[in-house]
Amino acid sequence: MRVNLRQATFDRISAWAARRHGRDSLPIRISRRRVYILPTRFGIMLALTLVAMLIAGLNYNSNLGLAFAFLMVSIAMVTMHHCNRNLLGLQVDAATEADAFAGTAANLEFLLQNDSTVDRRDVEIVCMTGSGTRSVLARSNESVQVVVPANVRGIVRIAQFALRTRYPFGWFHAWTYVQGALTVYIAPSPQGNRTLPSAGGQGSAARSEARGDEDFSGLRAYEPGVPLKHMAWKVLARGGEAAVRSYTGLAAQPEWLEWSALEGLDAESRLSQLCLWVLESEAAQRPYGLRIPGREIAPARGAAHRCLCLRALAGHGIAEPS
Amino acid sequence: MKRDTVSYEDLLGISACLALALAAHITSLPVWVLVTIGACGGIRLLLARRGLGVPPRGVRLIISAVAIALLFLRFRTFNGLAAGTALLALTAGLKLLETDTRRDIYVITLIIYFVSISALLEGESFLLLAYLIGVCWLTTATLLRLTTSRPAPPWPRSLRYAGRILSQALPLALVFWLFFPRLGGPLWQMPDEGGTATSGLSDSMSPGDINDLAMSDEIAFRVRFTTAPPPPQERYWRGPVMHDFDGHTWRRSYPLSAGVPALTDEGPAYRYTLSLEPHAHNWIFALDWPSHWDLPHGTLNGDYTLVQPDPVSRPIDVTATSYTRVQSTEPLSEPLRRRDLALPNKSNPRTRQLAQDMHSAHPEAMDYVRSVLAMFTEQPFYYTLTPPKLADDSVDEFLFDTRRGFCGHYASAFAALMRAAGIPAHVVTGYQGGTFNRFADYWILRQSDAHAWDEIWIEGRGWLRIDPTSAIAPERVERGLSDTVSADQHLVSRWQRRTPWLADTRLRLDALRELWRERILLFNQDSQQHLLELLGIPEPDGEKLVIVLAVMLTLGLIWLTWQVRRELDPARKEQVIRAYARLCEKLAALGLARAPHEGAEAYAARIAERRPDLGRAVGELCRQYSSLRYAPADARVTVAQFAAAVRAFRPGPA
Repeated sequence: MRVNLRQATFDRISAWAARRHGRDSLPIRISRRRVYILPTRFGIMLALTLVAMLIAGLNYNSNLGLAFAFLMVSIAMVTMHHCNRNLLGLQVDAATEADAFAGTAANLEFLLQNDSTVDRRDVEIVCMTGSGTRSVLARSNESVQVVVPANVRGIVRIAQFALRTRYPFGWFHAWTYVQGALTVYIAPSPQGNRTLPSAGGQGSAARSEARGDEDFSGLRAYEPGVPLKHMAWKVLARGGEAAVRSYTGLAAQPEWLEWSALEGLDAESRLSQLCLWVLESEAAQRPYGLRIPGREIAPARGAAHRCLCLRALAGHGIAEPS
Repeated sequence: MKRDTVSYEDLLGISACLALALAAHITSLPVWVLVTIGACGGIRLLLARRGLGVPPRGVRLIISAVAIALLFLRFRTFNGLAAGTALLALTAGLKLLETDTRRDIYVITLIIYFVSISALLEGESFLLLAYLIGVCWLTTATLLRLTTSRPAPPWPRSLRYAGRILSQALPLALVFWLFFPRLGGPLWQMPDEGGTATSGLSDSMSPGDINDLAMSDEIAFRVRFTTAPPPPQERYWRGPVMHDFDGHTWRRSYPLSAGVPALTDEGPAYRYTLSLEPHAHNWIFALDWPSHWDLPHGTLNGDYTLVQPDPVSRPIDVTATSYTRVQSTEPLSEPLRRRDLALPNKSNPRTRQLAQDMHSAHPEAMDYVRSVLAMFTEQPFYYTLTPPKLADDSVDEFLFDTRRGFCGHYASAFAALMRAAGIPAHVVTGYQGGTFNRFADYWILRQSDAHAWDEIWIEGRGWLRIDPTSAIAPERVERGLSDTVSADQHLVSRWQRRTPWLADTRLRLDALRELWRERILLFNQDSQQHLLELLGIPEPDGEKLVIVLAVMLTLGLIWLTWQVRRELDPARKEQVIRAYARLCEKLAALGLARAPHEGAEAYAARIAERRPDLGRAVGELCRQYSSLRYAPADARVTVAQFAAAVRAFRPGPA
């Protein structure tokens, strides 16, 4: 109950802050107006202790006791300022887009830049359910990774993230909201049992196998989606990194990875299969195009193209963010 | 929620802080409480050392229950300072035993803060305050390390940061302390613990008692006269009066206030302020005989001793007026006369015989008194602080066998001789003499100035003070006790006489202590009103005080905000740029102006080429400038150091 109340309070403050500040353009410098501060549970315990100390000092009419109690009260007040300062003037930037496969986690990357001559210790970035903590020393930068779970295929739009700190002493909790639009594209989980179509839409497994042995060109690092038969098992057995045999001469004709080729599967299974094919084609270093209802991506190859295709799969049936 | 398990180093830090805070209570806490806390801390530390967790829950519960039950049996209450402190300290120790996560330690830090303040509630010394502020600093630094993510920064850095927060808090604390309205009395009465005063006069006196006090240097009270001080032979400070004598010991009597003869003041009035240290009773040691005083609940009891309803449990200041001579024309009422004539029938037979013999030789009262005093003077009576022990018939033994004693013996024997001759007499205890502190113009009365004398009733004249001790060694009355004591008995005082500078230092220190007492310990509502008057506020009252507090706090917070934000950019960056510009100006004066496109290092290189003698210095300054402006936090100089170095740089012409 208590936790819910606390959460509800924070939610209301965050909604109010969003209305108050409007959309931020990254990077932003954290200004005085947007840093909020409240005592933590430990801080409330301290406050109760301080009240007891004051009453004791007054009751015993002890000037030394009161001096000590007032010193502690003042320390708490100074600490509040220091906690607030721990965020002030910090510059925040974020990679606005991140990719992940459904069932894994997305890595959001933030950059904190501290131009001042004071250290900012234990600054936490909270984004959805994930958080990451870093100390940014005087005049330096730090990047903060925040891991956000990616359970379901789709596009997750994060309108707001928070910076917070309890430094020093954990008596206060200072935080600020940044209204920065972050997008996480969650591609379908790559799986399926259909074979990769060959150019022209005919089955190509036999051909690729026949040619594959001739054009071996070397080893490269393993990545998901590589056909099992291309794995360099011997390397793995010797205790080396998982590696894949690489082939040349397979890249000639572009292939079309088509939604319509997957008869008899439901939408999500088709997307998963297409996702696996994208990865397989990319691993085989063969140009490929993607054709799904409402979207057609011309054949190409490379990281940017792969990303485009995966995002198209992630966003299938979902309106693109403007 | 992730568990942040506590480390050995964390435990060691917090245990040390707790031990330091408890050290302030070492004399007041029961030994077994300290031992229990020590054992709990020790066990937990040992377990942590071996990488083990807390002891099983059952064990912890049993230890806690037993310890708290023992505590209750010892104190019978958890209310009051001593019991409360013991309970808190014990809780901290037990909490230490079950500390598993860093969060558990947070509670212990709060207890340490509270244990510290409880030492100050009845403490008075500046050193104690300074010590506990030190403990607070250390605890705060430890807490800082506990609440930051690991690895914690090095200790000196934590201490520096905690010290910085402490130093920024001090001015605010001062504002609070000066202007926070004080209460007239306590919010509620706490149980009186007594036993806070270790020495002082007591309810009874057997010959030999005051001896213990004579060895004590503790201060009983200080006196500042606003009139001229009375001559030494009239500086008697009145304490409890003893009426009941059982042949060995004198005791205070049941209170008789009816029929007490009124006194008429005579001679000059003496006005003074008495700064009384706490003691176990309610007597205010006013100058004999007090006539007016400004103590709200102070009254004269039937013995003409100034008293207040409650024991003097904390230092108080009393301003009073006394007359050293009084007269009484009223008769002594029968119950009072009977009380001051009573002698136990079977005790001290030889004394009674002596009194009858002397009284028949000198039937007139004053003649009899004189003859008794003459006996003390002429016969071999000695004054010593280490007299032989006396048995039951103490007066007989003293007068006829040992003949060695100090004020208690003489006062006791004299009163017995008077009563045996039918003259009402009683023993008065109090203080006599005092040391003048010429550095701050007041008198110090120590426990070693405790004294006992007699008062006898002379018809038509009233009570008359007789100090039989002065018949033995008259200089004893004129100066302090320590002057008459033979050298081997009082090594310290002999040493002091030989080294006058030491006595002076002692007086100077006492003057400081008195200042501390007057300005800090006794700071109250009146002092606050006075403070407001000093600030030019007419007719100060509580309401104005609160307004002043609010204004001062606002100013304090503005200052604090400025202090805290000052360290942020960009003011400091500008300071670096300004200092660098000054450096360039100095070099331009030598015809080595920096070209607009030139960076710091290129500039330094060019100067090194043109003026090899300046090359090193300029090179170093330019390097510092670059690192302050562009390098990350590891710059080896601070902005202030760089600015100072530039200021100190005075290049001469080639």
